[in-house]
Amino acid sequence: MYRRLICALCFFLSLSLILAASTGELALNNYHQPNEVASLLKSWNTKYPQLTKLVNIGQSSGKSDILMLRIAAQGKSVEPDSRPAVFVSANIEGYHLAGTEAALLLIEKLLTGYGSDKKVTSLLDKRTVYVAPLLNPDVAQYYFIQTRYERHRNSIPMDDDLDELVDEDGPDDLNKDGLITQMRIKDPEGTMIPDPSDPRLMKRADAKKGEKGVYKVYTEGLDNDGDGEYNEDPAGGVEVNRNFPHDFEYYVKPAGLWPVSQKESIALLQFLVSHQNIALVLNFSTENTFLNLQQTGQARAAGATVRVPERYASFLGLDPDVDYTLKEVVDAINASGVTGGQQVDESFVAMMLGLGPAMNIDNQDMPLIQEIQKDYKDAQKKAKLDYPESRAKGVGKGSFAAYCYFQYGVQVFSADLWAVPEPKKEPAAKDKDALTLDKLKTMSSEDFLALEDEKIEAFLKEQGAPPNFKAEMVKNMVKSGRITPEKMVEMIEKMPKMPAAKEGEHPDSYILKWSDEVLKGKGFVDWAPYKHPTLGDVEIGGFVPYLRLIPPPSELKKTIDFHTDYYISLMDRLPQVELKETKVEALGDGVYQVTVYFTNTGWFPTSTAQGRRARTVWPIRVELKLTAGQSLFSGYRIVNIPFIDGSGGTGKAEWTIRGKRGSKVTATAKAPYLDSVTTAVVLQ
Amino acid sequence: MKKNKIFFAFLVIAFCLVFLLPKISHAAEVKLSFDHFYDHAELTAALKALQKANPQFMKLISLGKSYEGRDIWGVILNNPQTGPEEHKSGFYIDGNIHGNEIQGTEVALYAIWYLLENYGKTELATRLLDERVFYIIPTMNPDSRDYFVNKKEIYRSGVIPVDEDQDGVADEDGPEDLDGDGFITTMRKKDPNGRFRAHPDDPRVLIPVRPGQKGEYTLLGTEGIDNDGDGQINEDRLGGYDMNRNYGFNWQPNYVQYGAGEYPFCFPETKATRDFLLAHPNIMGGQNFHNAGGMILRGPGAKNLGEYPMGDRRVYDHIGKKGEKIIPGYRYLIVYKDLYTVFGGSIDFLYNILGAYTFSNELDISPTFSFPIEGERGEEEEEDEEVQRLRYMAERLAEMTYHDLVLLGEHFADWKPYKHPLYGDIEIGGTKIYGSRVPPLFQLADTCHRNAAFCLFHADQLPILEFDGVKVEKLESDLFQLDISVRNTRVTPSMSALSAQRKLHRADRLKIEGKNVKLAAAGRLFDEYRGITGKIETRDNSIWVESGVPGFARVTYRFLVRGKGSVKLIYDSLKGGYMTTTVALK
Repeated sequence: MYRRLICALCFFLSLSLILAASTGELALNNYHQPNEVASLLKSWNTKYPQLTKLVNIGQSSGKSDILMLRIAAQGKSVEPDSRPAVFVSANIEGYHLAGTEAALLLIEKLLTGYGSDKKVTSLLDKRTVYVAPLLNPDVAQYYFIQTRYERHRNSIPMDDDLDELVDEDGPDDLNKDGLITQMRIKDPEGTMIPDPSDPRLMKRADAKKGEKGVYKVYTEGLDNDGDGEYNEDPAGGVEVNRNFPHDFEYYVKPAGLWPVSQKESIALLQFLVSHQNIALVLNFSTENTFLNLQQTGQARAAGATVRVPERYASFLGLDPDVDYTLKEVVDAINASGVTGGQQVDESFVAMMLGLGPAMNIDNQDMPLIQEIQKDYKDAQKKAKLDYPESRAKGVGKGSFAAYCYFQYGVQVFSADLWAVPEPKKEPAAKDKDALTLDKLKTMSSEDFLALEDEKIEAFLKEQGAPPNFKAEMVKNMVKSGRITPEKMVEMIEKMPKMPAAKEGEHPDSYILKWSDEVLKGKGFVDWAPYKHPTLGDVEIGGFVPYLRLIPPPSELKKTIDFHTDYYISLMDRLPQVELKETKVEALGDGVYQVTVYFTNTGWFPTSTAQGRRARTVWPIRVELKLTAGQSLFSGYRIVNIPFIDGSGGTGKAEWTIRGKRGSKVTATAKAPYLDSVTTAVVLQ
Repeated sequence: MKKNKIFFAFLVIAFCLVFLLPKISHAAEVKLSFDHFYDHAELTAALKALQKANPQFMKLISLGKSYEGRDIWGVILNNPQTGPEEHKSGFYIDGNIHGNEIQGTEVALYAIWYLLENYGKTELATRLLDERVFYIIPTMNPDSRDYFVNKKEIYRSGVIPVDEDQDGVADEDGPEDLDGDGFITTMRKKDPNGRFRAHPDDPRVLIPVRPGQKGEYTLLGTEGIDNDGDGQINEDRLGGYDMNRNYGFNWQPNYVQYGAGEYPFCFPETKATRDFLLAHPNIMGGQNFHNAGGMILRGPGAKNLGEYPMGDRRVYDHIGKKGEKIIPGYRYLIVYKDLYTVFGGSIDFLYNILGAYTFSNELDISPTFSFPIEGERGEEEEEDEEVQRLRYMAERLAEMTYHDLVLLGEHFADWKPYKHPLYGDIEIGGTKIYGSRVPPLFQLADTCHRNAAFCLFHADQLPILEFDGVKVEKLESDLFQLDISVRNTRVTPSMSALSAQRKLHRADRLKIEGKNVKLAAAGRLFDEYRGITGKIETRDNSIWVESGVPGFARVTYRFLVRGKGSVKLIYDSLKGGYMTTTVALK
């Protein structure tokens, strides 16, 4: 009887899942657990066999399958894995459940939109979209277990404290509230005090203000292994989104021992490198690269100079004591003849001199990214999405998004979907003459210099300029012509917006406010006394786990809807190479000049400059086929066009051919990430 | 009767001799010769024979398969009678990661053979096999090795297809033996506008022309044709990567470091080696073999992450400088400073991630350096162009003399005419595959012995720890103060300075065991006269010795112990060995 009940329950449960999938209602009342994500993908695959293929790219460290849905209308174009493709990746961090939900909604929009929505139909007829909604299933699973503990590390066991015991001292839910929060204890060596603005928040005592430390703060838990440390070796190993190979942090335990050492990162990379048809990566993670273009590391400033070691300098005719630009060294090498006629480039020189990898977005790629950035902001405004822009996180060291751009070499965008909202600022009773960004835009240098210092300083402070930026200094810069008000506006707009914490305000106070006002206090556990077995009298409390990362699902509806639409609109911008024109010019005596022009009618260029630099994105290869009686008088049979700019950019291949009048030659342009184009040209 | 008694006594003695006396078992003999290069099959047979003859010392394990399915052999040499592997410092050797740098395999094989052959015969071999464990991978690149030895084709890379010319087809245009002489050499063509001409004293040698002078020849590169009709010759040969740029420390992608692979350990051969290394954390010293140039190299491979800590440089210098004496002509150098930048190299991984002091030897010196030339090379001296030119010519001539009179012509193919489909009338000839970078066979044994000797010297410098006195002082009836001294008689510390700094692995551990014995307090004794100690937290009757025992040093720990009777002290180092001693508390 009991068993039948369970069977029936299971039946209805799976039925409801299938129903949810088939009726196009992806109800977002709760986050999907990893097993539910898997069954959703499977049920979609069953329902849309002509549109989808379920791909298992590998297993997580906890032995869960990492699944992906390939979406493309079959039979409409070439085989899906050979078409230009977009890769949508979500939740590589595991705790970005919002990303998983967005990816699921995106799949649903594509599947239900095919045949009904013109844009989606044409997209899936011509392109392939790979969607991986949950790239780190192990970490995602932790959100759903009984005791909620914000865990970022995957299931690889790790001996954090090198005592030969593995994962032996993690946090414990001492007060049995189902949440791992914090413990504070009065200690002579304590450095923390309750924040004067709100004693629930803890802050570091500032000796300059005469404050004295009172508390030590620990994660809630016991000293399970009796080594005097608390929670120093919790379960789990590596944060997967720090395990990718661009600007990887060696000697940082949660990043892993070396880059791409984890099953999750290996599976993902293997999939990417075996799919050269991928032209764009759209990512969901806690990074927002639309709003924050900050890169991982200290950049080697563009145009930086280098010194050439003596052993190279002597045969290149350079002076080892002089600074050269990379370009100058390239010229010197190419002119020296030591390469036997082979042309070297700047990346070769960078390698020879051991300068290391690129750390900045390439100057050629930047304008495009900025244009998308502007478009995204406008679209967000239009959709009335209230997003705290200043909180947007740039790409992290060793992150997947950083890998995609710098090493995989394709354009990548990442959206974080949500952040704890900023409390509305009361419209300041500003006086009417206060300087604003809009006013500054219209000012001449003279106008600016006429402003009072206080006004300028108030303005700078509001913009979050560092305190050493004084009015006098800025005025001097304007006087000397080094900067104009217009330029200033441009710079301010580009500046990463620092969260404008008010003087004396705790950096987390906005979160507490949000918890109090919106979550009705559910985001914070008030400090309550607890008798700790080894520490004695402590208090347990603090923010609840995942508060900043995982909002109540209802908060997500609008942003997920917006972002999935926005990603679909970005897919529309993929490069599209077409034949523009062929020109045949008879030079007389059976000699013809043949020029084939290609154009890119898509919005993105055919490749990124960084992809070309990394040599991971191939050039467009144009191959000429001749028939009997024809011969090439000048030009190569194979012409490589490095790239073609978007929005109507052109590239060409030309040959001088001897052949019979009226005979035909064919030219085919090909790249793994583009549709191939073939044209026949009649010599006449 | 008496006779019987004598006979009986004789029997007893004989019995004792045979069964009771400690057995000095020395290795059964396996005849190996070091006058030729081993292909993978012969290497496999040799290793199996050595293993079969010495089952008590040698384990032979397949660490995995190469891309083409050959076994990657791992050898472990240990005398279990003197302790398990994990209780001894390990020494690691690999060779032939670059498919064309083959002689490292013979050196590694020689080292295995030498130790087994001489166990019980020489003091050093016996001691090393008793005190140490050796982990040896004779060839990391068996696929390319067989191309080299059997097919006479040269591949530094492994043989996983790589589409080097990005045309959608991989490995479609490699070199070939056009003239059918069994060797791939070089092509040249008579050309009055060429940049080379024949040497006046030996027309086989090409020398660059002076500016304004008329030439005779153009060099056309390695023997081959344009197989795929794309206008280029030999532009997409087998493989196309560099496994010694694929290790997981300071790894950089292909555009920064040629040959790096898609990510660290993406090749089956490097992955197998990595797993072997990780499975044996007791490895404390290591050696890679490459060719050529006569170098004993240490890292760092690149300058971006800085020099090694001072303490570790001292260890490297001690061993490396001795190496220059063991192998005449070899120089002890630093990769990034004296050679070139290497990201993701094996020696950096071994030192920076695993905490093992590792060298890489560039085996063998080019004959033009070893053959005497009139007038010694001026060290780092400014030379004008003409002097350099003359030197170049002299060296080329010396090389030909060496080919003719020492190698007896075996490794040089005289230029012969050939009709090339693209270039027309050309000549094919030049140095053959065994004519450079690998030693001539008559020198192979010398290369093997001296470099193996360097390995044995290095292995002998790994830490040897011993208890150097335990002073027991009775404080109360059952409270004792123990001053425990541990000495390291070798230059290598029990933990590298980097390991201690970066916490690469667990620290050493000093432990006390005994019935009802409790370690009440512990500290490091800094000054035994004034009794000044630095307190150390105790745990489970033990302490962590955070930076191990430095080289040639002695450290003392003071234990306050409650209990009585006989206690056991254990010093347990991950990389420096394991030892125990017993003292009485009374």
